[in-house]
Amino acid sequence: MTKTQTEDILEIRRLHQYFERGTVNENHALKGINLTLKAGDFVSVIGGNGAGKSTLLNSVAGSLPVDTGHILINQTDVTYQSVEKRAKLIGRVFQDPKMGTAPLLTVEENLALALRRGEWRNFWSSGVKRRDRKLFQERLATLGLGLENRLTTDIGLLSGGQRQAITLLMATLKNPALLLLDEHTAALDPKTSAIVMRLTNQLVAELHLTTLMITHNMTDAIKYGNRLIMLDHGRIVVDISGKDKQQLTVSDLLDLFKANSGQEMNDDAVLLS
Amino acid sequence: MDIVVSSISLGILWSVMAIGVYLTFRILDIADMTAEGSFPLGAAITAHQIVNGTNPIVATLLGFLGGCAAGFVSGFLHTKLKIPALLTGILTLTGLYSVNLFVMGKANVSLIGDVKTVLTLMPISDQTIAAIVIGTIVLVVVIALLVFFFNTEMGLAARAVGDNEQMSLANGISTDNMKMVVYMISNGLIALSGSLMTQINGYADSSMGIGTLVIALAAIIIAEVIIHNVSFGVRLITIVGGAIIYRFIIAIVLWLGVDPNSLRLFYSLMLALFLSLPLLRQLIKQRERRHQNRLANLDREEEQTND
Repeated sequence: MTKTQTEDILEIRRLHQYFERGTVNENHALKGINLTLKAGDFVSVIGGNGAGKSTLLNSVAGSLPVDTGHILINQTDVTYQSVEKRAKLIGRVFQDPKMGTAPLLTVEENLALALRRGEWRNFWSSGVKRRDRKLFQERLATLGLGLENRLTTDIGLLSGGQRQAITLLMATLKNPALLLLDEHTAALDPKTSAIVMRLTNQLVAELHLTTLMITHNMTDAIKYGNRLIMLDHGRIVVDISGKDKQQLTVSDLLDLFKANSGQEMNDDAVLLS
Repeated sequence: MDIVVSSISLGILWSVMAIGVYLTFRILDIADMTAEGSFPLGAAITAHQIVNGTNPIVATLLGFLGGCAAGFVSGFLHTKLKIPALLTGILTLTGLYSVNLFVMGKANVSLIGDVKTVLTLMPISDQTIAAIVIGTIVLVVVIALLVFFFNTEMGLAARAVGDNEQMSLANGISTDNMKMVVYMISNGLIALSGSLMTQINGYADSSMGIGTLVIALAAIIIAEVIIHNVSFGVRLITIVGGAIIYRFIIAIVLWLGVDPNSLRLFYSLMLALFLSLPLLRQLIKQRERRHQNRLANLDREEEQTND
């Protein structure tokens, strides 16, 4: 292997996904995606409804079995690994703020679970360790939401924004090789969404995380990350990085979309955000 | 007074089972029918061993392990073969009926006479008191171990699985394995309850499991209705209270002269009532609110006409 290859954190090779394959309802959701993320890449993925964004993310996370193609994380082929197995390499934040945390468990219990991601969990030592509490408090304090004093509160009692911020902490607590963000601010109000997005950027920068972020929000897609990918009908139609991306505007993106898909961006969620 | 003491004694023994049922019912959110097979399994194994001269404590532990094995089978069917939980329970329960007959060699085994049971190990002549003492010792050990386990690294993971499966997977928890662990502990405890019950009643019967799940659930629901929002350990203790209250109600019903044949119908009706209590409570609250709202409106209208 050459030196440049070892820098590749995520490598997707000729990935195809079909739904209801072989029936009249067959939907060829991903049509031969090739995508490589280098260490430290922060890639935002946009595209209309049905473009294949979620299918792509679910394939990488393992919640959707791969039809053809290969997925490598840190040079390891994870194509056929279960979700819980590849969780060792992946930190994930879901769109629904309720999805990333266990509501009946306390804040510290949730964080303690995340702290052992990808490791054997024994049945003799305490789940929440005293020395970990200090770490949790420090990390929670960085959120600026006052959660550092609520370690023993049930997570279910917190607001969506607070839960999403904690999920983000949990996903990054163990420095994942790859961070997957699945429209993780879409269900939040604009103010909270901005806070969580800022926090995301800060964590990704601090920990040099390689990140794949799906978003509906064009402004966020332009503002954050060093690379932007547009999906349309299962194909990558736009891939911009570096200087070109920095100069990008929302109207550029809309033009690009029109040029590549032959139709106007008709997704309200995209236009309004 | 007799009724109270015997209700306490029975309640304590049943609460071991109720705690086992609680684990699958509340932690995994599964009503596991395996219970009605593992309860007589524990009884059958222990009775058979005791008749053959095994030390009663060893025989009781073997009963517990038998229940764990039954739980493993159900857990395997449910998680690895993806059979719905309710069907899984029915499958194992049906299979266990034959297993229990194999173990005992006949439909029932009597322990009356010159056999050693956990009761005879006690230096207490009053059987009911001895049962209370044994039950209490078992309960203290069981609750302490469960509280300890469900706060360990693995225990936390097990609790997370029932609470949010997606999140558990995303954090690298093998939800299948955790469910199997809970299934095994749960059915182990249920069998332990059957094992103790058989020694105290003096017999094991292949049909002694019928209706037991309803009894255990009733104890849980009583505990939850009376005291809500408590920590795991406190909840287990309240279940003991729930089981005792339930046995007391049954004892009174029998004392009132109700035909014992209609007892299981009564079990079901009572559990249905307990399960609908939260809804009834809500309806009453809504009625009150509506009533007050109407009063407030009347007041307002009066003020307006006065103007």
